[in-house]
Amino acid sequence: MAANSSTINNILEKMGEQGMFFKSFVRNIFKGGFEWNEFLRQCYFIGYRTVGIVMLTGFILGFVLTLQSLPTLQQFGAQTFVPAMVSVSVVREIGPVITALICAGKIASGIGAELGSMKVTEQIDAMEVSGANPMQYLVVTRILACVLMVPLLTMVADGMAFLGGYGGINLKGGMSAILYFRKTFAGLTYSDLFPAVAKTFFFGFIIGFVGCFKGFNSNRGTESVGMAANSAVVAASIGIIIVDAVAVQLTSALVYN
Amino acid sequence: MENLIELAGVKKSFGDQEILRGINLSVKKGENVVVLGKSGQGKSVTIKCIVGMIIPDEGSVKVFGDEVPEMDEDELRALRIRIGFLFQGGALYDSMTVRENLAFPLQRVLKIKDEHEIEERSMEVLEAVGLSGAIDQMPADLSGGMRKRMGLARTIIVRPEILLYDEPTTGLDTITSREISGLICSIKDKYKTTSIIITHDMACAKLTADRIVIMNDGICIAEGTYDELENSKDGFISSFFK
Repeated sequence: MAANSSTINNILEKMGEQGMFFKSFVRNIFKGGFEWNEFLRQCYFIGYRTVGIVMLTGFILGFVLTLQSLPTLQQFGAQTFVPAMVSVSVVREIGPVITALICAGKIASGIGAELGSMKVTEQIDAMEVSGANPMQYLVVTRILACVLMVPLLTMVADGMAFLGGYGGINLKGGMSAILYFRKTFAGLTYSDLFPAVAKTFFFGFIIGFVGCFKGFNSNRGTESVGMAANSAVVAASIGIIIVDAVAVQLTSALVYN
Repeated sequence: MENLIELAGVKKSFGDQEILRGINLSVKKGENVVVLGKSGQGKSVTIKCIVGMIIPDEGSVKVFGDEVPEMDEDELRALRIRIGFLFQGGALYDSMTVRENLAFPLQRVLKIKDEHEIEERSMEVLEAVGLSGAIDQMPADLSGGMRKRMGLARTIIVRPEILLYDEPTTGLDTITSREISGLICSIKDKYKTTSIIITHDMACAKLTADRIVIMNDGICIAEGTYDELENSKDGFISSFFK
């Protein structure tokens, strides 16, 4: 009983800390002196360091999806529907979620480890006692960079998945590039695109927020740096899946009904 | 002479552990006060209370006549511009070069935009700490002593009126420790600063202290000049000087 109440207390305490961190983040966005240079630097790092793995994964995703669905649809003589089926699956669900999970592994862990090590070596304290604003310099820039870059990376992954699909369809048969891409985009509507893009902004926010929160609040000691990185990946991944589940429900209720 | 720092009855606990049990400490303008004490007696907690990083449970912490625990975020930021804090490891921003480390507080805290002024000030403090050749190096390329000196340069670049040193010579060899102690004295003379120096290094204490305060069990148990305390009949106090 006592253990249960202590667990509940811990959970509530953590939620309170996250609430305060979010409040401080929001307040510092609108405070004067936005760190544009640091924001652009973070956008560059987040985009540049992740784009390679996102492109590769996107390509393989489209390729495999096509190869997997082609035999089944061929049985019904519906192989011409493969490009549309792949594009809808990738744009609506697989592209955003897989890209976000890759970013959680690469970006959230990186931010968690970076800020965690800054905390351990008292760099964040030094910033704070010098009268500078570490929240504005370190946190706001990183979260907003994630919010901007994750949707862009998702679009890159989607594009690569279309290319992968084209590769897959031509491995077992033949379809001209013009016909393939015409069918790919014909299958997509604005109601597929907008909700999918909208949720990637939330995914980006979760990745940045969790990474910054875990790093900023890590304990002293080198072990805590690894723990901050590790827990950032786990928490961001769970957050992405929960937000995705909510987004799917909302989209079904508001858009497809 | 007026007191720039005044602590009265300051208490602080972390969980069940009572760290400060009613600290009383005052520091006059232009004075170098060395705080001695065994590890875990609350010396670092005391200076963190002065700069508002830790809020005491009880007691008064006045800096420049203003009560620190009652300050809001903006007031604290304004206070911190007037106080420099040198961390044990230097706390250099390791993703930035020495030049960027020095420019950081000037651009963000003093809001100086003029590149020429930033360069001039950077060179001035680097010369003061004897590191003018290291301006384009990364912190990782600096030795322990250089990192401390560099941390000191970054601290004094905003020309604070109060300097708080958290074990400035820990982990350094005797010669480098003496150099850092000398630097603390020369900074006091050049910039007319008021300082609190936390140290275990008696050579540093002897060189830098106008007055020494000894802490034990979360309170100040003795204070005086180096010579006065060295000749103390109290066994615990004299043990620091053996």
